[in-house]
Amino acid sequence: MNLLTKIDRITAAIGKLSAILLLLLLLNVFYDVIMRYLFNDVSIGMQELEWHLYATLFLLGISYTLSQNGHVRVDVIYNQLSPRRQAMIDIGGTLLLLIPFALLISWYGVGFVADSYQLGEGSGDPGGLPYRWVIKAMIPLSFLLLILSSIGFMLRAWQRMESDR
Amino acid sequence: MIGLLMFVTALLLLLFGFPVAFTFGGVALLFGVLSEGVEIFAFMPFRIQSIMENSTLMAIPLFIFMGIMLQKTNLAEQLLESMAKLFGKVSGGLAISTILVGTLLAASTGVVGASVVAMGVISLPVMLKYKYNRPLSCGVICASGTLGQIIPPSIILIILGDVMGLPVGDLFRAAVIPGLVLVGLYIGYVLLYSHFVEDSAPAIPFDDDEQSRRGQQYLQAMKAIIPPLVLIIVVLGSIFSGIATPTESSAVGGVGAIVLSILYRKFSLKALLNSAEETVKITAMVFAILVGATAFSMAFTYTGGDRVVESYLLQLPGEKWGFLIFSMLFILLLGFFIDFVEIAFIVVPILLPIAEVLGIPLLWYAILIAMNLQTSFLTPPFGFSLFYLKGVAPPEIKTTDIYRGVTPFILIQISVLASILTFPNFYGLS
Amino acid sequence: GENSSTQQTVSPAAAEKESYNLRLAHTWPTKFPIFGDAIHNMATMASKMSDGRINITIDSKNKHKAPLGIFDMVKSGQYDMGHSASYYWKGKVSNTLFFTTMPFGMTAPEQYAWRYYGGGQELAEKVYAPHNLITFPGGNTGNQMGGWFQKEINTIEDLQGLKMRIPGFAGEVLAKVGAKPTNIPAGELYTALERGTIDALEWVGPSLDLRMGFHKIAPYYYTGWHEPATELQFLINKEKWASFPADIQEILRVAMRTAAYDMYAQSQHESAKNWASIKTEYPNIQVKSFPTAVLQAMKSANDTLIAERSAADPLAKEIIDSQAAYLSTARAWTKISDQSYFQTVEALK
Ligand code: NA
Ligand code: NA
Repeated sequence: MNLLTKIDRITAAIGKLSAILLLLLLLNVFYDVIMRYLFNDVSIGMQELEWHLYATLFLLGISYTLSQNGHVRVDVIYNQLSPRRQAMIDIGGTLLLLIPFALLISWYGVGFVADSYQLGEGSGDPGGLPYRWVIKAMIPLSFLLLILSSIGFMLRAWQRMESDR
Repeated sequence: MIGLLMFVTALLLLLFGFPVAFTFGGVALLFGVLSEGVEIFAFMPFRIQSIMENSTLMAIPLFIFMGIMLQKTNLAEQLLESMAKLFGKVSGGLAISTILVGTLLAASTGVVGASVVAMGVISLPVMLKYKYNRPLSCGVICASGTLGQIIPPSIILIILGDVMGLPVGDLFRAAVIPGLVLVGLYIGYVLLYSHFVEDSAPAIPFDDDEQSRRGQQYLQAMKAIIPPLVLIIVVLGSIFSGIATPTESSAVGGVGAIVLSILYRKFSLKALLNSAEETVKITAMVFAILVGATAFSMAFTYTGGDRVVESYLLQLPGEKWGFLIFSMLFILLLGFFIDFVEIAFIVVPILLPIAEVLGIPLLWYAILIAMNLQTSFLTPPFGFSLFYLKGVAPPEIKTTDIYRGVTPFILIQISVLASILTFPNFYGLS
Repeated sequence: GENSSTQQTVSPAAAEKESYNLRLAHTWPTKFPIFGDAIHNMATMASKMSDGRINITIDSKNKHKAPLGIFDMVKSGQYDMGHSASYYWKGKVSNTLFFTTMPFGMTAPEQYAWRYYGGGQELAEKVYAPHNLITFPGGNTGNQMGGWFQKEINTIEDLQGLKMRIPGFAGEVLAKVGAKPTNIPAGELYTALERGTIDALEWVGPSLDLRMGFHKIAPYYYTGWHEPATELQFLINKEKWASFPADIQEILRVAMRTAAYDMYAQSQHESAKNWASIKTEYPNIQVKSFPTAVLQAMKSANDTLIAERSAADPLAKEIIDSQAAYLSTARAWTKISDQSYFQTVEALK
């Protein structure tokens, strides 16, 4: 199995996981509405779980969306170019713009998580969720996964370049 | 100066066609690091966290999901087609139906990303199917999707209330008429355009040879219209009755869409998971832009861009009308480049004391700014609505189609802005 | 504006001296009244007193986007100074809770006395030092109101299931007596209260509550119990502080202390002014106090929660004991001085 296939499997799994998180988010919010309105019951923990789910799904989703080529582009010029040129832009942009950006966020994200872990940070509100470092860890994790996904993105561009020779 | 250079660089790089989100991020990195050192990126986790904790934005994935479910089950298509049929032989019925549905959605969310994407998913395929002119279709969707920002509830109004110290409720009430005037003018424009430009927006009349069964056809149309419309009304109702907050109502809508798909026997676990995956894809596209944009604005402000903007603002003319007109032009111009939240945060606190000294009624001024910022979503090159629609549009839709399509709507917005400026009485704002 | 520095014209003599450029991040929006004024006062005083050697750049939450990240950013040195409120860090370092205000606790004069003369500052340093931080008082809002209610609270049963936006420790107390603390984003608070998604909320006090427009949608405004003396805080990176010569430290210390006192005076002024206008402009607002039985239940819930913290952590116990001992001594004097004075003077009417 080559590298691209492996990366594709991982990003596909991330997509599935995020999709499940979305459905859980939907249930979570709906449950909270029903509990509050019909049973006059509110749980801060369940309310916080909402943004934990939503944040995780959009952060992880970024790498899945890249694997699906779903990030929006300004295509005024891009569409006029040969597949070879397009692939060159994709590879160049990934190396010069995307990867350095994702690397820096991951790097500082790790310190951010470590601080939270050392403090044993949790919610300040009654009944809120503990272990804030877990959700904060989604920041470096998602950007490291984005780097992985961007390698697949470049490999695919490379294939297009080869076939357009 | 660095700020200006950043914009020019971003503009040029965006034209290469690399994804917008990462172009913003890369430009932020380039200028931020060159000017302030690599440590500036230590702020990024905090900024990303503030997006993560912003639960109002939760409406984006939930709303998109509702849109995709309605589209996958063909309910959205039937709704729009049937509404369009009620227009008979009048052209543009589909576009007007889109505007009307967009208005209803606007009343249930204040997050532009949510409604533009939902409208794009729901109505763009239908308009394309009926051979609508592409720019017109794009313009209608961007404009009506962006209505969510002026028709309450609305994030712009909430932020302005916070920054200007005005009660949110007063702002919400004051924005209703300007929002409805926009809706009216959009419809007027579509009627005129589709009447004068042949085949731009073909009518979808009932079959003529079945004259005698017209009544039955109306009945059929109502059957298609009512269920999705009921869903939208349930969403709105849950907000107005206090059952749910606007953000939560988008989950009510999502669950409702699933229920509808079960009722219409179009439900399967696989289809549900597919819709969820597609939602994730579009949601992440939207949020990647938000992350890239927050990096961009971080580099912009920390390299002194906010101070440059401030120094320009302090040079605005010092009498009422000059100040009003120039501050509006300045915000409009800034809106071509900067995100509305940044404008509200950087610009408004500087303008506010001047406006107070000049005796300008603040509620009126706030609505002017809101209308102005609403326009910034549509103005190329960085109007977020344009990116969002591009992100969900089929490949045959070009960025230029979208740019061309929104231009008349931008002009409509500017004329409404001008009319609020000159006839505040009409809007109950004097 | 807020983004500009507080640079003053520098005398030729000072130009040769070393300058100290500090960056301060705060939790509030740009040009936030009262809280923001305290920060500006401090920066201006520090600059003037140092003849322009101290230059403090102020970034609002609108710039750094991390209103609740001040602790971390000052700790790590991304910013040299911060302005926020100590109890915001309770989820990170639980003992920071005690240095803002406590339900049923000291009033502002009592609390300042404890902080400066009763061992409070030493305890604050004990809590913050392990995190590379020094904290000083940052200005007091005075007694805060108990919040806006859609219904009257007559018995403890009325609190059962009451959905209220009230964060932090006071929320814990209310939860213990059967209320349902509820998270609502600030932007949706107005709509949520208006449409009955929640039954009550706690914001700040007359000056800031009116800006939110709550008086138009909720009939009852309850007097306070949970935040008798909300003290904001200045935070300083400890290493940075240690790098300053003694004169610069002293100038900053005096500037912070003066700005904090001044904010207390300004809060008193603004609240009194706003209160007067509320009474005349909105005569329909019904001002209520919780009945004694309700307050008793909340007080005993409060005491239980405090006792739990005391048992769980020796440093918490030290602070709680110090505050309790100080409160009883100081309150005896407050009663015989201020309270007797109020009573005798009121009796003259
Ligand atoms: Na809206
Ligand atoms: Na724009």
